[in-house]
Amino acid sequence: MVTELVKTRIVVADDDQDILDLVVFKLTQAGYDAVPVTDGVAALAAIESGLPRLAILDVMMPGLSGMDVLRKVRANEATKDLDVILLTARARDADVDAGFATGASDYVIKPFSPRELMHRVNAVLARGDR
Amino acid sequence: MNVGQTFLTVGVALGLACASAVAVIVIAKLRRVRVGARAKAMLAPHRGALIVMASGEDEDGQALAALCAVPAPIWARLRSGVVAFLPKVRGVPAEDLGGLMRSHGEIDEARRMLTSRSAVGRARAAYLLGLVRDVDSVALVVTLLSDPAADVRMVAARALGTIGDPSAASGILQALRTSHGHIGLPAWVAAEALLAMGTEVGPALELGLTSSDPAVRNVCAVVAGHGTYFTAAPQLRILLVTDSDADVRASAAVALGRVGGAGDAALLARYAEASETTVLRRTCAAALGELGHRESLETLTGLLGDRDRRLAQLAADSLVRFGSDGIARLQEAAGTTTPGPNARAAGSALELAGLRGQLVSVPGS
Repeated sequence: MVTELVKTRIVVADDDQDILDLVVFKLTQAGYDAVPVTDGVAALAAIESGLPRLAILDVMMPGLSGMDVLRKVRANEATKDLDVILLTARARDADVDAGFATGASDYVIKPFSPRELMHRVNAVLARGDR
Repeated sequence: MNVGQTFLTVGVALGLACASAVAVIVIAKLRRVRVGARAKAMLAPHRGALIVMASGEDEDGQALAALCAVPAPIWARLRSGVVAFLPKVRGVPAEDLGGLMRSHGEIDEARRMLTSRSAVGRARAAYLLGLVRDVDSVALVVTLLSDPAADVRMVAARALGTIGDPSAASGILQALRTSHGHIGLPAWVAAEALLAMGTEVGPALELGLTSSDPAVRNVCAVVAGHGTYFTAAPQLRILLVTDSDADVRASAAVALGRVGGAGDAALLARYAEASETTVLRRTCAAALGELGHRESLETLTGLLGDRDRRLAQLAADSLVRFGSDGIARLQEAAGTTTPGPNARAAGSALELAGLRGQLVSVPGS
């Protein structure tokens, strides 16, 4: 009998190539199917076409911002339950509040610990509360 | 040479000059692209090791060993890639990247550059030592807080904040003073650096609150509030009551809102009275909401009808922060049969609270 293992798909959107490479490497090492994109428009397209389990979005990106993508994801019936982690340098309380108020599942502030990010990813996926 | 020939000659000369300029630009761009592509190709074999290190996956130290062994010409190009990663990650990866910089002599070079004749060189050196959180360089970076260049002083303060060694706190506070013709460090730069250092700057702050310099007292009051240094509360009370500087008094009021106790509600209410300055009254009204003691409900409700509409608005916002008790007061004021200024302040605060979803748990709202 052949067992087909389907990897959990995660869209990663960041216009910083260093961060993108790092997060994709870390997710791939952990056995996830990471889909890298470099702007908000591509992130939305990847989410709508690939229907991933999770999206990790930078907030400040060209085209659509991470917050814009999050709003559109929540407004779309097909993607409204997607888990989204915002990964951003915007660290003020008001920014964090706005992220959660818009519907983020978690909020990670740069500079970040890659290990901590993985714990957050695993926790959000395990929670499956959306 | 007639006029026509002159125009023709000038036209040709201008055309040739433009063509030459375009050619120079194109050649420079092509050269830059070629150099970039060559550098990328040279670095490609090492990019993987760098990603492994930056992601914290280099448990056997192989990636670090490989990058430590790269020859100087390749390191010269790879260096900027490593520096670019430093402000993006923290924890073990940041420490490993710092170790890589150290192994290539970058830390020693940065320490030497702290005394460079170039202000840019000094600033870059301080920035790098901050990025790698080099505690051993704190004393050297502190000397840059009295640098002749204002930008270098700011970079040094930020670097000290990033390193996070509280022994630099007093140096940063001293740098706030204007001396020898140098304008002191901007207050927000000093405050951010001190906050980044964590709770161990407490003793330096308490000392700073009694400084003769109002700029130092002000920054210490701001940091005491934002950093929630409860031990600073007694000195903050003294500053609110007796300080000669209006900014210091206002900062002390804000801080007391965050770190004060039950007794401070009466103190803040006293300085929200009409006999005080507009700025201090407004600050105290907001601080009462932050403090959140029930005895302030009466004071804040009274301020809803104040002539200073901004003060009334702040009092209304503070009442919202009290939750159901405060919102009930606002609803009472907004529902009055003879609508006056207090009803307007209460109404707009309730409207905003509704938009923010703060009225959900209040019965009857």
